[in-house]
Amino acid sequence: MNALQYPEIKPKKKFIKRIYIAVMLWVVGRAIQAAAKVDREVKEEFAKLKDNFLLKMWIWPNGPAMYVGKTKDGKVKYLGWKDKGYKPTLTMTIKSVEAAMLLFTFQEGTAISTARNRLVVDGDLPDACALVRILNIVEVYLLPKIIAKLAVKRYPKWSQMNPLRKHFGRILIYVRAFTF
Amino acid sequence: MQLPAYYEFCNSVKTIVGHKALEQIPQSLKAINAQRPMIITDKGVEQAGLIKIVQAAMQKSKLKAAALFDSVPADSDVKVVNEVAKIYRAKKCDSIIAVGGGSVLDTAKGANILVSENATDLMQFVGYGNVKRKLRPFVAIPTTAGTGSEVTSVAVIANHEKNIKMAFGSLFLLPDIAIIDSRMTKTLPPTITAFTGMDALTHAVEAYFCLAKNPLSDTTALAAIQLIAQNLVNVVKKPSDLDGRLALALASNLAGMAFSNSMVGLVHNIGHAIGGVCGVPHGVCMNILLPYGLEYNMHKRSQYIGELLYPLAGEEVYNKTPKKERPLKTVEYIRKLIQDLHDATDGKHPRFLKEVYDRTGKQMIPKEKLPDIARTAMSDPAQFYNPEDLDYNDYIMVLEAAWEGIPLDRKKIKKG
Repeated sequence: MNALQYPEIKPKKKFIKRIYIAVMLWVVGRAIQAAAKVDREVKEEFAKLKDNFLLKMWIWPNGPAMYVGKTKDGKVKYLGWKDKGYKPTLTMTIKSVEAAMLLFTFQEGTAISTARNRLVVDGDLPDACALVRILNIVEVYLLPKIIAKLAVKRYPKWSQMNPLRKHFGRILIYVRAFTF
Repeated sequence: MQLPAYYEFCNSVKTIVGHKALEQIPQSLKAINAQRPMIITDKGVEQAGLIKIVQAAMQKSKLKAAALFDSVPADSDVKVVNEVAKIYRAKKCDSIIAVGGGSVLDTAKGANILVSENATDLMQFVGYGNVKRKLRPFVAIPTTAGTGSEVTSVAVIANHEKNIKMAFGSLFLLPDIAIIDSRMTKTLPPTITAFTGMDALTHAVEAYFCLAKNPLSDTTALAAIQLIAQNLVNVVKKPSDLDGRLALALASNLAGMAFSNSMVGLVHNIGHAIGGVCGVPHGVCMNILLPYGLEYNMHKRSQYIGELLYPLAGEEVYNKTPKKERPLKTVEYIRKLIQDLHDATDGKHPRFLKEVYDRTGKQMIPKEKLPDIARTAMSDPAQFYNPEDLDYNDYIMVLEAAWEGIPLDRKKIKKG
């Protein structure tokens, strides 16, 4: 038998999709850092998380990835996309590039993605619950209502997030996320 | 029927159901190459004489249990799991037969992880997917008709020293064989039959209307709901009805299959929190909260909730009820079922949270505990699968209504 007749099938690299996802992860990571300074609710959620909290969100099996963690002085920081020997306390793994595309093009919200088992969480479940709440708030800030409604289960009403808080917070988060 | 763009379903458990299904134990054990099984159970099951039935069925083929552990507590604990694993190794057992309710089955699953992985610390397997290979042969024999643990791929084990509950999830936790024998649930008192039946009903109902529903779990969920609606009140009134007992045990199994694949929502979310804060049995919480879970999500899932009327109330009621009214009629029917169970147990089956008392007659859920429960519920992952989002105020609104026993004011539910 000639083994060469049966070559190994290698998956396509999907460069464009990976770049898009990497950019989205960068934006989300930076926006979480910014929201933790700007928004009271996000600040409170992070305050309740343990001091060594470190989130890894990545696409299985080879990335891209992003890391967000709490620093020694309790600040929330986007730590980049490279693994510098971090020990994540919470890992959110998106099972494939295609699953990530559905999530980051808002064809599927976080809840549906989880329900369809495309998103797997490893770590303390209370932390995961807090993080989903944080992501929801960040998405509301980052995205126009028509898109954010696809991403979150319930778009906040005036009583939960008044327009002043939303628009002012949005400007601050965009400014902080995209300036160094 | 909803056809989602993507879904997953797994149930690899061989299920044996019948009035004398236990007689199949010897052949079943032989098929999975088990010769020295360890029986794991609790004192209640042992004292009810159920282990004798299992042993008698085994002895017909001269098969004997290599060890018997009958001290599983009501709330499975990591220390007990370690103890079971120690005995398993000392007695050179090669398989496990778990006879009991959810706690026994979860303890057995935990012990099976330790003995199969030759490990001493369960913590390294906490979470989903951390048990990565086939475990030792495992036979599950449920003695309650509620948890469906015999067909679920999860186990929850408490670490009382650290005051945490550890959740394990892996397809390898699914037992090899589940044996459902009507004799195993025959001695269940009416009150326990009532709330375990409502637990199974909640599994099926939440699996049917929550976010991870799929056509395969829908099928098992609908069958479970129909069996429970047709048999639960009758069996509570006449506990010796073996056909009814078997139907309920099968319903619990089907509901377990459904929710193990489709997960659960708000009812379990709040129920877990009440169990954690006030120590109320899981089934009691499910029973009280089920109508509220339906009401809270009705604006998003009215179609599915309306469809539940068919297996619950039957063809005639379903056809007579206009489509628009079916969701509310479903809730009305479930409230009537709870009231019927309350009446059939001489008022021992609680309808509202304020009606839950312990054995000494002390109220288990004081109203001032509701904020604690709401905060705990915010950290429970069952909320991920609930169709509508919840914040602290939403939890309080649901809890206050369930405590007083008044329907939810649906106008107050925030819609996105």
